[in-house]
Amino acid sequence: MRKLQTLMAAAVAVTLLAGCGAGTATPAASGEPSSTSTVPSGETLVVYTNSNGEGRGEWWTAEAAKAGFKIEVVGAGGADATNKLIAEKNNPIADVAFGLNNMYFAQIKAAGALEPFEPAWAGEVDTAVGDTGDGKAYWPLVKQAILLGYNADKFSADAAPKDWTDLWTKDEFKSRYERVTGLGTATAQLVFAGILSRYKDDSGDLGISAEGWKQVEQYFRNGSPAVAKTDLFARIASGEVDMGQMPSSIIAEREKSFKVNAETVIPAVGVPLAVEQIALVKGTKKKAEAGKFIDWFGSADVQAAFAKQFNSMPVNKTAAAQANPDVVKFFSTVKQQDIDWGFVQENMGSWVEKIELEYMQ
Amino acid sequence: MSGASAKSMLRSPFILIVGTVLTWFIAAFLVWPNLNVLLATFFPDGSFSGRAAEKLFSSQRAMKSLGNSFLLAVALSVTVNVVGIFIVLVTHYFKIRGSRILFLGYASTFIYGGIVLAAGYKFIYGDKGIVTALLLKVFPGMDAAWFSGFFAVLVVMTFATTTNHMLFVANALKGVDYQTIEAAKNLGASDWTILRKVVLPMLKPTLFAVTILSFLTGLGALSAPQVLGGRDFQTITPMILTFTNSPTSRDLAALLAVILGVATILMLAVMTRLEKGGTYYSVSKVSSALQKQQITNPAANAAVHVIAYLLFAVYSLPVLLIVLYSFADGAAIQTGQLSPGSLTLDNYTRVLTQEAGLRPFIISVIYSALAAVIAVGGLLFVARLLQKYRNWVSSLFEYLLHIPWILPSALLALGLIISYDHPNPLVGGAVLTGTTVILLIAFVTVKIPFTLRMLKASFASVNSSLEEAAAIMGAKTLYVFRRVLLPLVLPAAAAIAALNFNSMLDDYDTAIFLAHPLVQPLGLVIKANTDGAEGVEGVANTFVYTVLLMVITGLTMYLVYGRSSRRGAKGKRARALPAATAPAAGPSLTEVTGTKEPSAPLR
Repeated sequence: MRKLQTLMAAAVAVTLLAGCGAGTATPAASGEPSSTSTVPSGETLVVYTNSNGEGRGEWWTAEAAKAGFKIEVVGAGGADATNKLIAEKNNPIADVAFGLNNMYFAQIKAAGALEPFEPAWAGEVDTAVGDTGDGKAYWPLVKQAILLGYNADKFSADAAPKDWTDLWTKDEFKSRYERVTGLGTATAQLVFAGILSRYKDDSGDLGISAEGWKQVEQYFRNGSPAVAKTDLFARIASGEVDMGQMPSSIIAEREKSFKVNAETVIPAVGVPLAVEQIALVKGTKKKAEAGKFIDWFGSADVQAAFAKQFNSMPVNKTAAAQANPDVVKFFSTVKQQDIDWGFVQENMGSWVEKIELEYMQ
Repeated sequence: MSGASAKSMLRSPFILIVGTVLTWFIAAFLVWPNLNVLLATFFPDGSFSGRAAEKLFSSQRAMKSLGNSFLLAVALSVTVNVVGIFIVLVTHYFKIRGSRILFLGYASTFIYGGIVLAAGYKFIYGDKGIVTALLLKVFPGMDAAWFSGFFAVLVVMTFATTTNHMLFVANALKGVDYQTIEAAKNLGASDWTILRKVVLPMLKPTLFAVTILSFLTGLGALSAPQVLGGRDFQTITPMILTFTNSPTSRDLAALLAVILGVATILMLAVMTRLEKGGTYYSVSKVSSALQKQQITNPAANAAVHVIAYLLFAVYSLPVLLIVLYSFADGAAIQTGQLSPGSLTLDNYTRVLTQEAGLRPFIISVIYSALAAVIAVGGLLFVARLLQKYRNWVSSLFEYLLHIPWILPSALLALGLIISYDHPNPLVGGAVLTGTTVILLIAFVTVKIPFTLRMLKASFASVNSSLEEAAAIMGAKTLYVFRRVLLPLVLPAAAAIAALNFNSMLDDYDTAIFLAHPLVQPLGLVIKANTDGAEGVEGVANTFVYTVLLMVITGLTMYLVYGRSSRRGAKGKRARALPAATAPAAGPSLTEVTGTKEPSAPLR
């Protein structure tokens, strides 16, 4: 008798999944031909993004719903989203991708998974921070500065480091800064893009001079390794370390949570900027609707509202005027490091590999 | 019976059917996708390059991390067995006061693991931990960071991975015939001799299986070294994950994974060989249920009690702290400073009132349950056949079924995508990407090796005379399987299904690549809420999800295992445990074969 019950239970479960799959899959598959107007048709769009954490995903899907768009968000980290888009290029599932920075989108474009397009707001953004190649396939949304921050209660502005290289050349900072234990994150990669591009040397290994690689070696030798699931700010608060890498958008919130007073260093060469972009996935069956969504999402109004809500720095010039004044002021004073992104994109994979294999301890 | 040749196997229609389905499944979902991904990785432009090997072998860090992973794997195979056998004996073999409460403490590893478990141990023994603070008061000069490096990782992972012992070794122990123990006692054997010469040999098939799992756990160690390993003890898995995510370095990831995979297969081969060397089982035909043994030496008895309760504290403290910290804010969790006033329900409110709500939980429960049932249900036949017929065909199948142990799940997922993103004749011309089925397939395949190992071990500990008797009386293969064998392995099968279910609930690595956009499981939601991760809310959310998962997995274990062990307890009172677990086989069989004398364990 018991096995009959087991069989029944299994049968019920199988039916459930079949029902679940069929029932929910239908709305995605039913793509009605959309009109050419700017009014959304209400087709479900699948959007891949890494910009859905900390309430952002909920905020913008709700806003999109108000504007008439039906969105399914698939959240994934920058590297995961990149790999997923490239792997799915023969039979794409996503319609739109956004939030990834220019380095990731350059990879996806090179793999042939993006459809070139021009959004309605193309004239309102600085194309120099977007796709600089032919057939522009991704367009800039939000700027993020990758900074070296320090505990201002321990160091005055004069005593603080002036540049990344001070961390391992001056004894007072040795072992007082947090160094990464993996190069899987966009932030870490951008820090190294900032350091290595200063030592560009065509005859050097992977385009970097021996002096440049020595900097990397010293960075790992003298830093205090990051601890999994323990934020840099938590370590600063407990006095374990005093400084480390921080993306500009998180600083205000972390200062408050951990009761840390952080200041940031602006080296003479400037700081690397990560620019989050938006793109149309090649092969989407809902190109018209996806285009309307991009036109809406990148528009000055939406970007300004997003910036106000999450203290971000929009690339859209009209939106920037309405963003948080402190943020705008910071970005107007910060000097952008002049980085040859083509060179960085071409080499980042090999750099990460070399650093992971040879320098990380 | 174990020497049946490949030819004789082919004569049975039952075997032919199972064999055909199995061949198709292995070809379509184990060999083809993984071959595809390995080819794409190692032959990117159609020609092979030795680049990956050259890079890896010249990297000091890679070699050291690889060495550490192996060291951990070997050490864990020993320590997990020592601790695991001890806690199994304490809860199931010896008369220990309060063994039910001890069981609950030791069973805490059933319901949680990963990074939060490592964090839990850090709250206690880390440089700001409770025990460290106490120790510092007693020994002011000691190093506050004493709990780090290889030692700390080994300790945490040992205590974290005794789950398989508690489930499977304990289950095998229940099947030990008490008459063999009584016989040994009558012959004047001491407690220790009985344990060593009678009881442990009968647990051998199960011990071999769980040893392989401990080895594998050590090789794949990720979170414990990250949290506690410090500068000196980092393992290879983080590097594999980084390289998997970087298309230009994926060959390095695949090569490292293959090295670990080959090591696992070697371990498997060694264990299979040892297993062949002798499966011990009682040939007594009227077996009786195990009775708990009093430890006769009072000093030994006291020592075992003390150690048992110390271990209880070690096991249960991290769980208690994790539950407590899940009510604290993220900053308190990370700085380790907890004040009673700062405990609120805010974290739970935030997680549970999200827009997605309960939906991801339900999706994950359905997916995991289906995958667990399919994997165990399907492999019941296969494991039985592989255990019964030992020839080159069955060995080949057995090794092929272990392919999912070789590659990291992200690569398995990529393999499925590139193989089934176009109409493929292997699956009747269907396109699988973008459907709800592909994730289920991945879940089932990932769980095959574990399920197969444990099922095979539990079939091996079944007394073969029951089956022979049924066959003599004219029962057909399927009937014997259904009415005789199945009831005997069902407790183990249920435990395996429960563990499979639990381990897939929060899966991220597979789901991120394969989930249907409208049917997203829990792992993706957890990642979105805990990532970036080191943020304040992120860390607090991690703890909340862990506690919520503990509730689900605890409930599963109770439904599957708690109830059956209660049934077992009732049976024990009636002194007829084997009859209770094999109701169909019991009475009639003893009548036929009950004439032989009970005897000591035999080869």
